[in-house]
Amino acid sequence: MQPVATAPPPVESTHHHEEHPGFWRTYVFSIDHKVIGIQYLMTGLLFLFLGFTLMLLMRWQLAYPTKAIPGEWFVVLPAAVALISAVIGLVNKRKLAVLVGGVFAGIAGLVWYMVSDETLFPQGIMLPELYNSFGAMHGTIMVFLGVVPLAVGGFGNYVVPLQVGAPDMAFPKLNMMSYWVYFVGGVVMLTSFFVPGGAANSGWTSYTPLANIATMGQTVWLTGMVFLITSSLLGSVNFIVTIVQLRAKGLSFMRLPFFVWSQFITAFLLLLAFPPLEAAAVLQLMDRLAGTSFFLPSGLVISGQVLDVSGGGSPLLWQHLFWFLAHPEVYVLILPAMGIVAEVIANNTRRPLWGYKSLVYAAVFLGFMSFIVWAHHMFMTGMGTVISTFFQTTTMIISIPSVIILTALVISLWGGSIRFTVPMLFALAFLPMFGIGGLTGLPLGFSATDIHLHDTYYVIGHFHYVVAPGTIFALFAGIYYWFPKVTGRMMSPALGKVHFWGSLVCMNGIFFPMLIQGLAGVSRRLYDGGAQYAHAQGVLQWNEFMSVSAWLLAVVQIPFIINFFWSVKKGKRVESDNPWEATTLEWQTPTPPPHGNFAGGVPEVYHGPYEYSTPNGSKDYTPQNVA
Amino acid sequence: MRALAITLMTALVGTSLLVAGDVTGKVTFDGKAPQMQRLRMDADRFCRAAHKAPVSSEEVVVNKNGTLMNVLVYVKGVGGKHTPPKSKALFDQKGCIYYPHVLAVQAGQQVEILNSDNTLHNVHTLSKKNPSFNAGQPIKGHKLMKKFEKEETFRVKCDVHPWMGAFIGVFDHPYYAVTGDDGNFTIKGLPAGEYTVEAWHEKYGTKTMKVAVPKSGKATVEFKYSN
Repeated sequence: MQPVATAPPPVESTHHHEEHPGFWRTYVFSIDHKVIGIQYLMTGLLFLFLGFTLMLLMRWQLAYPTKAIPGEWFVVLPAAVALISAVIGLVNKRKLAVLVGGVFAGIAGLVWYMVSDETLFPQGIMLPELYNSFGAMHGTIMVFLGVVPLAVGGFGNYVVPLQVGAPDMAFPKLNMMSYWVYFVGGVVMLTSFFVPGGAANSGWTSYTPLANIATMGQTVWLTGMVFLITSSLLGSVNFIVTIVQLRAKGLSFMRLPFFVWSQFITAFLLLLAFPPLEAAAVLQLMDRLAGTSFFLPSGLVISGQVLDVSGGGSPLLWQHLFWFLAHPEVYVLILPAMGIVAEVIANNTRRPLWGYKSLVYAAVFLGFMSFIVWAHHMFMTGMGTVISTFFQTTTMIISIPSVIILTALVISLWGGSIRFTVPMLFALAFLPMFGIGGLTGLPLGFSATDIHLHDTYYVIGHFHYVVAPGTIFALFAGIYYWFPKVTGRMMSPALGKVHFWGSLVCMNGIFFPMLIQGLAGVSRRLYDGGAQYAHAQGVLQWNEFMSVSAWLLAVVQIPFIINFFWSVKKGKRVESDNPWEATTLEWQTPTPPPHGNFAGGVPEVYHGPYEYSTPNGSKDYTPQNVA
Repeated sequence: MRALAITLMTALVGTSLLVAGDVTGKVTFDGKAPQMQRLRMDADRFCRAAHKAPVSSEEVVVNKNGTLMNVLVYVKGVGGKHTPPKSKALFDQKGCIYYPHVLAVQAGQQVEILNSDNTLHNVHTLSKKNPSFNAGQPIKGHKLMKKFEKEETFRVKCDVHPWMGAFIGVFDHPYYAVTGDDGNFTIKGLPAGEYTVEAWHEKYGTKTMKVAVPKSGKATVEFKYSN
C-alpha cells in the first residue's frame, strides 16, 4: 500500500456498530456504500441481461417474421450462463455466484414459459402485441433497471465516497433504502409480464392517449416507475450532500476526479428532472383508475366510438412531462460513462487529462442545457416553428459541451504512454462510438431533417450507439478497472480481450445498419421489421444481419461472465493495493476497503486528481494524498 | 335398472322433440336496393390482389329474390339454462373480408377466428358486455380461440384494414339464425308456446313479431324491411 506521507490523527468513529452484525446486516440490509454498490451492480447487470434477452427474442421476429421461433435456442443461452455461474459459485464457494446462477435460471424459465405459450407465440410466431410489450419493456428495463442503477447506483455508490475521501455516503440508511426501493420497483416491473394482457406495450415512452387505454400492464408499469423514480431521488440527494459536505481536507472542487464531477452533475439532473415524470405517472394512473382526464381530450374517438371520459385533457402534456425527464435522463446515462472513461484514460496514458477545467465547465454547462432541449423529441407534434426553432437552437448548442468533453478525452491520448489494458480498450472504443452516436444526433436535432428521420430506425441506431458501445462499454471499462479494488484480484486479460473485440464488432453489426434502414424510412416499433412496406423492401436484408450480430453479441458476453465470476476467487492476486498505479483516493485504501474505507483515518489531499508523469522517486505518478 | 333408466331418458327426449316446433320464415326487402360503397383495398397490396372484381360493402345485401341477407333473427326472453354446443363457430378473414358478415353464436360456444390471408389482420371486438379484445393475427393460418359469455350483439373491426367490419350476435340460448342468400331462416327445436321473435339488421334496425309455436310442426313469420 502506498504509504501516506504524513499520518493524520485517527478520526473518531461517529457511529458505533455491533461487533458482528450477522449475514443479513452485512450482505443484504447493509448500510455500507460498498455493499450497496455491489448490490446495485449485480441487480443492474441481471436486469441488463434480461432486457438483452427480450431483444434477442425480438430480433428473431425481425429477421424471420414468418418462421417459428426455435425457443430452445433462446433458453440455452441463459441456461448455460446459469450453469456456468452456479458451477463456478459452487466450486469457489461463492454464494453470490450461485444466487446469480439461480436468477439466470429464472430468466431461462421465463423465456421457456413464454415461447411455449401458444397464446403468446401461436405456431411459434411472436404476436405483434407481445412484440410491442417486449419493445416497451426492453427500453424500460435497460434504461431504468439496468444502465442507470449500474452507472449511478453501482459505480457511483462504490467509488464516489472513496474518491472524495469519505468514510461512507452522507446518509447511509437512505442509501440502503434507495437500493431496496429500486429492487421493489424492479420486482413490480417484472410482475407486469404475468398480469392479464401482459406487460406494458405502449413503448417505454408510454405516450397518451394510447397508454391510457392500454391493458393492465401499463398500470403496473406506472406503479413500478413511481418506485424507481423515488429510489433515484433518494440516491441523488445522497450523492449531492456527500460530494459537497464530505470531501476530505484539501480536496477542493477543482481537485475532484472527473468521475466525481460527472456523478455530481448526474445527481442534480436526477433530482430536478425526475419529479415531473413521477407526477405525470401519478396523473396517468389517475386517468386509468380514477376517471380523470389529464391526458384525454374531449371527443376522443377510439375504434369508431367516442370515449366516455370527462375530457378536456391534453395528450401532449404527457409528452412534455415525459421528455422533460427523459432528455436529462440520457445525460444521466452518458455522464457517469464519460467519468469512467476519463479515469481510465488518465490512468492508462500516464498523463493528466487534457483540459480538466474545460471538461468540468463543459459538463456543468451540459447539465444545465439538458433541461432546455427536451422538445427536440417532439418536433413532429405540431408545436409550431417558433418553439421548434428554439429547441433546435438549444439542441445545437448542447452539442458543443459534448464535443468539448470528447475532444478533451481524445487529446488526452496525445503524447501518452498508452497501456492497452482491457479497461483502456473499452475506454478507447468509447470515443469513436460516442462520436458516431453524437454525430448521428445532429440530423435529429434539426427539425427539418427530423421530419424524415423521426420515429425511424435512424433514431434507434443513434441512441443505441451512444448507450451500447458508448455507455455500456464505459461500464465494462469500469468493471475491469475497479474489479481489483473490490476483490483483490485481476480479471483475465485474455478473456477480456475476447469480450472486447467480439462486443465491438457485433455492436457495430447491430446498430450501423439501423442508420441505413432509418434513412430509407423504415419506422421503428414495427413487429415485422418493415416487411409490409414497399419503401422498406430494399433494406430488409439488413434485418437478418443485425439479428445474427445480436445473437453473436450474446455469445461473446459468456467469456465476460465466466471471467467475472471465476476471477472473484481464482483471478490473479494483486501485488499491491494500487495495481493500476493510479492517483485517485480509492486506490490509496486497503483492498478491499474496510468498513469506514480509510483504515488509518480520512486522508488529506495535496494535489489534483491526475498527477501522472510527475517525478516521484521510482514512480511516475503522485497519489492525491501524498504531499 | 340401467335399461329402465335408458328407456325413460329416450322417452323424455323423444317427448320433448315431439312437443318442440320450428319457426321458419324470410326477411323481405321492399323497394330498390341501395347502392353500396365500393371498398378500396389499395392500402394493402395483398388485399387488392385478392379480388379480380370490385368488392362492395356488405352493409345492405339484397338478394336476387328480393330478400335481405345478413339479418339476425332470434327469439327473445327465453329462460332456462342451455348448454352451448361443442362445435366451433368459424369466423374467417379471407381476401380481407370477414366471413360470415354476421355470425350468431351461443354464449360459451368456442369461436375460432381464422386468418386465411397472407397478411396481418387485427381482430378488434367492440363489445360492451363481453370483454373487448384487440388481437393481431400476423400469419396465414393463425387461429384465435375465443368464447363470449354474455348476450349481446357487437361490431368487430380490423384495426389494419378500415373497410373490414362484421357483427357477432351472442345468445344465451340456441334459438337464433342468420338469413343467407335466399333470405330464409329456420329456428329449430323451440318448445311450444308464445314467443317474441326479433329481427336485427345493422342498418335498418330491429323489427319484432309475436309467434305461436305449436307442439310440433312449424310456425311461419315474415319480416319486411324497406329502404
